[in-house]
Amino acid sequence: MKCKRCGNKDPAYFYKGHKGYYCRKCIRFSQILLEEEIFPLDYEIAEGAEEFGFDYRLTDQQLEASGKCTEGLKYGDVLLCCVCGAGKTEIAVASISEYLSRGLKVAYAISRREVVIELTKRFEKIFSRAKVMGVYGGHHDELKGDLIVCTCHQLYRYYQTFDLLILDEADAFPLKGNETLMNISVNVCKGRIIYSTATVDDTLRKVMRRRPYRTVELYVRPSFRPLTVPRAFYLPRYPALFVLYLLLRRMENQCIIFTVSKRDCKAFYRIFSRFFSCTYVYADLPERKKHIEDFREKKYRFIFATTVLERGITIKNVSVIIMNFANVFDQSNLIQMLGRVGRGTDCVAGDAYVISNRFDPNIRETLKYLKKANSYL
Amino acid sequence: MRCIYCDREMKKITFTSLFLERDLLCIECRRMLKVKRKKILLGELKTEVFYEYDGIFKSLLLQYKECCDEALKDVFLYSLKDYIAIRYFGYHILFVPSSRKKRQLRGFDHLELIFEGVKLPRARGLRMKEDLIQEGKNARDRSRMRGNYIYEGEKLNKVLIVDDVITTGSSIIGVYEAIKDKAEHVRALSLANK
Repeated sequence: MKCKRCGNKDPAYFYKGHKGYYCRKCIRFSQILLEEEIFPLDYEIAEGAEEFGFDYRLTDQQLEASGKCTEGLKYGDVLLCCVCGAGKTEIAVASISEYLSRGLKVAYAISRREVVIELTKRFEKIFSRAKVMGVYGGHHDELKGDLIVCTCHQLYRYYQTFDLLILDEADAFPLKGNETLMNISVNVCKGRIIYSTATVDDTLRKVMRRRPYRTVELYVRPSFRPLTVPRAFYLPRYPALFVLYLLLRRMENQCIIFTVSKRDCKAFYRIFSRFFSCTYVYADLPERKKHIEDFREKKYRFIFATTVLERGITIKNVSVIIMNFANVFDQSNLIQMLGRVGRGTDCVAGDAYVISNRFDPNIRETLKYLKKANSYL
Repeated sequence: MRCIYCDREMKKITFTSLFLERDLLCIECRRMLKVKRKKILLGELKTEVFYEYDGIFKSLLLQYKECCDEALKDVFLYSLKDYIAIRYFGYHILFVPSSRKKRQLRGFDHLELIFEGVKLPRARGLRMKEDLIQEGKNARDRSRMRGNYIYEGEKLNKVLIVDDVITTGSSIIGVYEAIKDKAEHVRALSLANK
C-alpha cells in the first residue's frame, strides 16, 4: 500500500470507507482512493512567454549565481542558499525563462497567501508577455497559466505536472517539519526542483538527500550593505517591556516588533498604543491586509506582529525588535525576521534588537551566522 | 495509538479510562471539543444542541463532510449515544436529508453514519422536492429550504429530527412543517449551532 500523492506507506493511516481504502495522512487536502488514478494537469505554454526584463540592473554576483543555478539544473536539483534580501527571486528568473522557452511547465511555490499576491504582481512585470496565475486559498478556480505562483497548500492540485518547481522558503512554515506536505510538494514535480532558503533544516536535508543536487550560495545583498547584526538583551519580562518602551521612544524610523504569540501581540499593542501610534497584525486577523497596508503607507510608526510578517514582505527603512519570550523562535525564524532590515537598494539601514528572558543558544548561533555572512563582503 | 485528529501519540491507558468508552481523540483534543449541552426553541420546536460551532468542531466536521474522512464518524457522539437512546426512548429518528449531489460525492450519508450506534428506530420517507445545496448560501436563499421537504412515510407517534449544524434553522423547521401532521410529538436534535 502506498499513497500516490503523499507517498505514505504506513498501513495504520489507511482507512476502509464506503468507496474503498483511502490515505488519512493527506486527507485534509481531499480524499484520494488507493486505486484511484490521478492524472497530471495538461496545458500549453504560450509562445514568447519566456521574455523577461527588470526595471533595475542585477549585480554581477546575482548574474553569476543565476548562471550557476541554470547550469546546476542540468545536473540535478539546486539548493539556492542566499541571505535575506539577496534577491532569490531574481536569481531564479533566468532558469524559469529557460524552461518556459522549451515549452515546459514551471511553478513557484511559497508559504503565504499575501506573498503569492505580491509575487504574482512582481512576476507580471518581469514576464510581461506570460500569463502569470496566482493560486491560493479562495482563488483556485483557474489552475492553468504559463507560470503558476501558488501557496504550498495548493500544490496538491498538480500531480506530476511541473518540469521545474521553485520551493521558496523551503525551511519555513508550512513545510518545516511537515513531511506530508513536503512529499506532496516534491511529488508534483516530474523534473527539477530549486529549493531556495536562507537556512537548511533536517526535514529539508532528508528530502534533498534522495536526489542529486548542487548548492549555489550568495551572501551579498544587491546594496552591498552588511547584514544587520542585532544587539541582544537578556531581561525578565517586565523590565524587558520597559526597555522596549525606551527603545521605541528613541526610534527614528518605522519598526516591526515581533512577538511570540497572538496573545502577546494584542497585549503589547494595548500597552504601547497609549504612548505611540501603532497597529498590530496576526495570521487570523480579518483586517490583516488593511493593517499591513496602513503600516506601509506610514500611517503608523510601529507594528506588533507574529511570524506572519516574517517572510517575503519588503517594507523599506524599517527596524526590527524581536521579543523572544520563552525562546520560541529558532535560528531560521530569527534570521528571516532580522532580514526585514535594510531591504531594497536605496534604503537606510535600520537597527535590530533581540530581547529574550532566558539565555538562548539559537540567538548565539544566529549572531555567528550573520557575522560569517558579513565576512564575505 | 495515535490521535485521529492531531496525529500525536496518545498517553497510555489510565485507570479511569478503563471504565469509559474508547476515545479516538487524545485528551488535549477532547478537552477542546467539550460538550456544551443547550436547549433552544426553533419556532415552537424544542431543540437540543451538543456543541458550539467553532474551533476544533468546525475543522472536524469540515474534514468529515468535505474531505469525506469516514474515520471521524465516532468522534462526534462519543459518550452521547447511550444518553440519546435513553433521553429519546420511544422516538423515531428522522435525518434531515442532504442533497443528492453531495451524497453521491461522499458515497455515504454523513448523519446516518454518525448516529450508527444509537439504538433508536429510524423513520423513512422524507425527501427533498428540489435538489438544493445550502453551502455558501445566505439567509434568504436558505429560507427556501422551508417548503422543500415532503414526508411520504407512515404515521408516527414520536419523531426526533436530526441535523448536523443549525445556521438559520430553516431546514429543521422545513422538515417539522412537513411532518407535523403525521406525528404527534416532535423534537429536534443538532450537533451544533452557529
